[in-house]
Amino acid sequence: MKSSKEALRTARQLIEASMVDGKLDLQKVRTIVAKLVEKKPRGYVQVADQLGRLARLEVEKNMARVESAIALDEATKATVLNDLRAKYGSQIEAEYSVDPDLIGGMRIRIGSDVWDGSVKNRIERLEQLFS
Amino acid sequence: MSNILQELESEIAGLKTSVAKTNVGVVREIGDGVAKVEGLSDVMLNEMVEFPGGLYGLALNLEETEVGCILLGEGRHVKEGDEVKSTGKLFSVPVGKEMLGRVVDALGNPIDGKGAINATENYPVEKIAPGIMPRQSVNQPVQTGIMAIDAMVPVGRGQRELIIGDRSTGKTTVAIDTIISQSNINKAAKEAGDDSYKPMYSIYVAVGQKLANVARTIATLEEAGAMEYTIVVVASASDSATNQYLAPYAGCAMGEWFMQNGMDALIVYDDLSKHAVAYREVSLVLRRPSGREAYPGDVFYLHSRLLERSARLSDANGNGSLTALPIVETQAGDVSAYIPTNVISITDGQIYLETDLFYKGIRPAISVGLSVSRVGSSAQTKAIKKVAGTTKLDLAQFRELQAFAQFGSDLDDKTRAQIERGERIVELFKQDQYSPIPMEVEVVVLFAMQNGYFDDVDVENIKDCQAKLQEFFTTRKDAILKAIRDSGKLEDGTVSDLKQAIEDFKSGYKPE
Repeated sequence: MKSSKEALRTARQLIEASMVDGKLDLQKVRTIVAKLVEKKPRGYVQVADQLGRLARLEVEKNMARVESAIALDEATKATVLNDLRAKYGSQIEAEYSVDPDLIGGMRIRIGSDVWDGSVKNRIERLEQLFS
Repeated sequence: MSNILQELESEIAGLKTSVAKTNVGVVREIGDGVAKVEGLSDVMLNEMVEFPGGLYGLALNLEETEVGCILLGEGRHVKEGDEVKSTGKLFSVPVGKEMLGRVVDALGNPIDGKGAINATENYPVEKIAPGIMPRQSVNQPVQTGIMAIDAMVPVGRGQRELIIGDRSTGKTTVAIDTIISQSNINKAAKEAGDDSYKPMYSIYVAVGQKLANVARTIATLEEAGAMEYTIVVVASASDSATNQYLAPYAGCAMGEWFMQNGMDALIVYDDLSKHAVAYREVSLVLRRPSGREAYPGDVFYLHSRLLERSARLSDANGNGSLTALPIVETQAGDVSAYIPTNVISITDGQIYLETDLFYKGIRPAISVGLSVSRVGSSAQTKAIKKVAGTTKLDLAQFRELQAFAQFGSDLDDKTRAQIERGERIVELFKQDQYSPIPMEVEVVVLFAMQNGYFDDVDVENIKDCQAKLQEFFTTRKDAILKAIRDSGKLEDGTVSDLKQAIEDFKSGYKPE
């Protein structure tokens, strides 16, 4: 039984090994996971768990999740992506989704940063101010 | 009506500003009042974070990919996957004079059913203690109203004096007596129209105590009319460990407000052993490495940073003060246990209460040998200093001789005199709970004792004689008391008056 700390350390080393130019190479991660499953080293389940988590966080760092109340047209999408790339770097990719609960506006999440310009958020803030 | 509309409009206009960036995380694990949150990459240590439903938490553990947060309230509705927002604010509590007379929880919310508190200011709960330059040395007394303490282990404004002893030896009583004494002095000064007197406000922090005990304490304070100068902060045994851990800091923030605004305050932490236990619980749930007795490594810092915030500020900084009376409970009289030694080394002295003395009927059960005050004597009122100078030594010698005299009956006259004097001092220092004695009366009694006026009174009649002496002075010799009270000194003229008055009393005194 490998301790969770050791598993985390190993996973971190593996993630670092699969970075290419500051970006996670998903192909390398796939190879590592395949090797882990095939060779089954000591505590490989925990290592795989941690690896999955770290890989997810790494991917999320460079993935902007753009939610909007209505579907965006291509021009708006391009503007949003360009603005985000100007702020966070050219490696940013965007993923678009529609959430009618937002009522209006947009909500963008990159890593743990959230840019919330939705009507829903503004109403909530207003509610807090007056409660 | 138009006001509200304008307000609404301005608020709405404020909302139209550009989209603000927030830092968020996702709850991964929750339980025992602690949440592990993934994300929150920009969060600061001790920052408040917001959980869904208006619940707040504190970020205590910053790890590589996770943040360990303690919840400030009931977190049953929080579940895995919930979003947590950072706020960029430190946890603070309402402070100010509006808090006086109120009972609040560790977050500063009223729990006495007397409605909302309209405090205008907030102070952060964790604050760095005043540095060296804004301070000055302790030079004003805190009259505890307990004769044994005022005479032998005096406490000054800005001092930290530990009250330590086994369970049920009267630790809380000493603290409550002090609070009552302060409120009595405040009221007396107010009635006399003395504007130069700085009232002393009190804060009583109950940590991990039974609610029945807290209710009794509050009732005592109310009965004595001390609540109007007192804030009570309660984190009882039924509150979460988080709230118990935060309560002393919240109380300290309220006390600091008085200090920073040039006023004097007294804070009682009742008690710090339970506070350490609550912090141990929080730390273990946060999976911090444990050390001796499973306490985390920073349990010393936990108390030192709290008690360092008590200080006497210099005149340039407003001349305010915060006096701390922390209480620590020992197990079977063991002062060398972990938490007691820590707190003893942090504080400026301790009042040690002994079980044996308590059951012998010597109450307050102050152990003379083990109680000290490192800075208080420079703050002692001159009058008391003059009459109580050698009392501690007399009493310590008496205890030694008493142990020795048990073995033989043949004693020389000097030893016998010392023992008889000692027995009388012990009797005089016995005092009922919740009945603090004013300073000037203490001076009279101590003066009578030092000058041998009690030597011809039988030991069993000492208490009776003392009570009658006090009554004689308060009803018939108020001028002498006033002279001592106003000057704080024992001048030659007063001494001769005092001698004459005591002789008058003695000539008419008959034991019952």
